[in-house]
Amino acid sequence: MRRIIILLLLLIAATGCHNKNVEAKAKKVAVIVSTLNNPWFVFLAQTAAAQAQSLGYETKIFDSQNNTATETDNFENAIAAGYSAILFNPTDANGSVVNVNKAKTAGVPVFCMDREVNSVTGPTSQILSDSYSGCVDLGKYFVQQMHKKGKYVEILGIVADNNTWNRSKGFHSVVDYYPGLQMVAQQSADFDRNKGMEVMESILQAHPDIDGVFCGNDAMAMGAYQALAAAGKANKVKVMGFDGAEDAIQGIKEGKILATAMQFPKVMAQTAANYADEYFKGKRDFPKKIQVGVEVVTQKNISDYIAYGKK
Amino acid sequence: MSLNTKNLARFQSLIALVILCIVLSCLSDKFLTVDNGWNVMRQISVNICIAVGMTLVVLTSGIDLSVGSVLALCGAITAGLLKNGVDVPSGDLYIGFTLFGAIMAGLLTGSAVGAFNGFTITRFKVPPFVATLAMLTIARGLTLLYTKGFPISVLGDHFDFIGTGWFLGIPVPVWISAIVVLGAVVLTNKTQLGRYIYAIGGNENAARLSGIKISKVKITVYALAGALAAVGGLLVTSRLDSAQPNAGISYELDAIAAVVIGGTSLSGGKGTIWGTVLGAVIIGVLNNGLVLLNVSPFWQQVVKGAVILLAVIIDKASSKNE
Repeated sequence: MRRIIILLLLLIAATGCHNKNVEAKAKKVAVIVSTLNNPWFVFLAQTAAAQAQSLGYETKIFDSQNNTATETDNFENAIAAGYSAILFNPTDANGSVVNVNKAKTAGVPVFCMDREVNSVTGPTSQILSDSYSGCVDLGKYFVQQMHKKGKYVEILGIVADNNTWNRSKGFHSVVDYYPGLQMVAQQSADFDRNKGMEVMESILQAHPDIDGVFCGNDAMAMGAYQALAAAGKANKVKVMGFDGAEDAIQGIKEGKILATAMQFPKVMAQTAANYADEYFKGKRDFPKKIQVGVEVVTQKNISDYIAYGKK
Repeated sequence: MSLNTKNLARFQSLIALVILCIVLSCLSDKFLTVDNGWNVMRQISVNICIAVGMTLVVLTSGIDLSVGSVLALCGAITAGLLKNGVDVPSGDLYIGFTLFGAIMAGLLTGSAVGAFNGFTITRFKVPPFVATLAMLTIARGLTLLYTKGFPISVLGDHFDFIGTGWFLGIPVPVWISAIVVLGAVVLTNKTQLGRYIYAIGGNENAARLSGIKISKVKITVYALAGALAAVGGLLVTSRLDSAQPNAGISYELDAIAAVVIGGTSLSGGKGTIWGTVLGAVIIGVLNNGLVLLNVSPFWQQVVKGAVILLAVIIDKASSKNE
């Protein structure tokens, strides 16, 4: 036991020495991302880090694990470790404001990606994906494809996540105006493919005669499709997702999925990294907010798209 | 003739399940159908595999919080080996894996991770809660490393049989969970290892003094729990034809809930596999019923929590009455 303790102490001493020697010449850029438990955010974070790296900066990805308190720790650590800019994907529009302000006070510029924080003064710039209007467009396409009538099911993401409700509200802002379209079930599957399938299996027992399914992300849409396929209803029911993930793009090609909404994580991540670069070179007048459009992907225009972006 | 605790706990969960089914079939005419029955059975098969392993661990008065992450890790390894094999460092070669090889690799990984849990718990006296909590994070991290954070999908024609196939009119996942349950029942009731497990959970010091090799038994039990989590991972991956890096998050909670509802004491030494099976069925029926009735997702969480609480309160009250 004593030997292990000595070993540990040596290890701590070794790392301590190492830290002191890091008087980095190159500036360091931190990427703080809401979660790495979801391929979409992994892609966002890795693209941002890769872009910053290619511009000559040392980078590190911090995972907030969908927890605003963990995010606070990440900010404090990043500031303490001497990072000069933060490329930030917030966990919560309101909860994350404090963290952004903390960085601002420390003189570290914050560039938000994909998700917004409700603060005009805090972040240097916000490059956002407009989930709401993306789902408005999806809703319009849904209405058209359903010929304004039929029974449908909505499968929500994590119900404590504001993206879940942005998407749901955008969709309903259109679809609810058509009395012929009747929502027979609204259930959550936590953005998870397996839960998406299980929830769909159960819903099919209660409502074997549905015509459409709207899912809050592509993973759940793929799960719902598998449940429908197993029940022999895949041809009758129209499935829609959101994100533009690889499986769904493939699914649209094969006619399994009707449509998804393509967000552009690559564009957002690279813009944020470029902005940080320009900031270091002296630029200060950044647009406060940029909305990166969300595009509806269907079998008609699928040839223009690849996973997470345009060809 | 008086009922002993084991039978009483089993009895209570059974009554609870019957009441639940009666209520649900009154509220929805879609509940009590053959189709929906298979549905529920297939859906709970994963939780049953994990919860059986959890029961063995809890019987030794331990806990395994890492099962959800281990499930994801083993599913990912099976899927990855099946799809991409292993790259040979030099040259363009890679080692391909057969279906059998990939599945065995997944199961071995699960057992190895579980055995490691058992090793840290027995060798370094790390409390099971802490050791497996650490493994929860480690295994999830390894999963993300192995998959690079993205799902591994489209795994070939034969692999999906495990999760979606039928054999003699019964879904394959149900066969697998039935084999797991029967195996565990035999293990706990008929074998020496089973008796040792109960003895350790009942009184570890007495068990040690009577010559039982505590470390050996515990490492075996955690390895079994890991292997059963791997079986769960196999089922999930096969059903989805895709290994998701975020698979199995919070599955340990469903497994612990099944164990507790089934009347197994968290302080160890008391409980049965059949109780856990009933617990898993109750949770599965509840999940299914709440969706059939289109209950709001917010309320579903409240209801599920309340049922767990109620089950434990009844269990406590009745064991006092004895």
